[in-house]
Amino acid sequence: MRHLTAEALARLVDGTPGPEEREHLRSCTGCAAELEALREQTEALASLPEIRPPAGDWSELESRLRSEGLIRDGHPRRIRPGSRFASRRWLQAAAAVILFFGGTGLGAMAAPHLGVPASTDAGAVGSNAAGSGSPTTVEASLDGVRTPEEAADLVRSLEQRYVDALVRYRQLQSGSDGHAGGSGDPASRYAALETLVAASQAAIREAPADPFLNGVLASTMAERQATLTRISETGGNDWY
Amino acid sequence: MQDASSTDRAMTESDLIRRACDGDGSAIRELYERYAPRVFAVVRRIAADDDTAQDYAQEAWIRAFRALPTFRGDARFSTWLHRIAVNSALQGVRKACTREKRRVPMPESVPVDPRLGDPLLQDRLEEALDRLPDGMREVLILHDVEGYTHEEIGEMLGVATGTSKSQLFKARAKMRDMLRTDDPSAQAGGMEACAT
Repeated sequence: MRHLTAEALARLVDGTPGPEEREHLRSCTGCAAELEALREQTEALASLPEIRPPAGDWSELESRLRSEGLIRDGHPRRIRPGSRFASRRWLQAAAAVILFFGGTGLGAMAAPHLGVPASTDAGAVGSNAAGSGSPTTVEASLDGVRTPEEAADLVRSLEQRYVDALVRYRQLQSGSDGHAGGSGDPASRYAALETLVAASQAAIREAPADPFLNGVLASTMAERQATLTRISETGGNDWY
Repeated sequence: MQDASSTDRAMTESDLIRRACDGDGSAIRELYERYAPRVFAVVRRIAADDDTAQDYAQEAWIRAFRALPTFRGDARFSTWLHRIAVNSALQGVRKACTREKRRVPMPESVPVDPRLGDPLLQDRLEEALDRLPDGMREVLILHDVEGYTHEEIGEMLGVATGTSKSQLFKARAKMRDMLRTDDPSAQAGGMEACAT
């Protein structure tokens, strides 16, 4: 009998030989050795190791998951493309709220009311949360929305910026970023929250039943109340 | 005292999945840490290089977390995830139309817990795998490396079971040929020893 072909031997790695093949393998040391080598090759392939992803893979993935709304720490809600949240009215209302967080920063919002300059911390809020979050940019983004998918993308982007801003706000409030002063001042914070409550209420007038905006308003009012309580507990010593 | 990370490790997979469905970043991170090397390994072998593999792997993770609320636990999570990773990589390759053949040594990524005693053999296997034609390589990876059946492979690749088998046998033979050619010591003996 002629030698077994390479493909026949490859089949016999985990297949059953026919009578002629079995007979040949018994008498041909070359084919038997080749089959054994193929079996070792197959075992070696099954033992190839797992491979650790490149450094930075998680960071990149995490930011993508956040931008997709799949990581929603402290903000458990997801917006799906085509949902009613992707309406232009909602976008405008959401943008109005987000701009107060991200466009100018809390300190800058407080400044006109209190006659104090915007703090560096507030600048950090703006840069962290808003990126290009000026009113002009957001308006331009709204004008560029042509399809429900684009609208949904913008909603997700705005929502993420809101979440980032809120996280930053909490960091500033707790002083966990290592900065001192600035928006850590309860009076400035209260003034900023007061403005934010007004902005949220204005946005809700546009979309009264929107759960996201109502959530923003509720949490902002709670923050405002907590800040007021702190101020009253310190006997107003932190006022100017 | 038990710290947060050990608590996470002790957490059952179903708890992690439930929390990940709710958008809990630490649960998502824990699932990633558990399975990232396995996901990356399969997409890296299907892809041409580390960068492309990373794109495919990230796409797989995003698809998996999007679809996580639909995961019913009929299969093991690792099996479900692995299937998504394979499909993402295969779709990525199809989308790219032709896989640019590059002799990129495997890989910049670091192998985890090498099971092969001989690192040189591992390198030679990975290199030979990379040199196989696309169809053969995919079938060989899915069958001999990842352990899928021909029926599953046929479903994933959209080919008949018989096609999967014939590609596998060709791929094994070609691999063997490449490895023998690359290793002079393996060329001595072999078929020449056959008397018939």
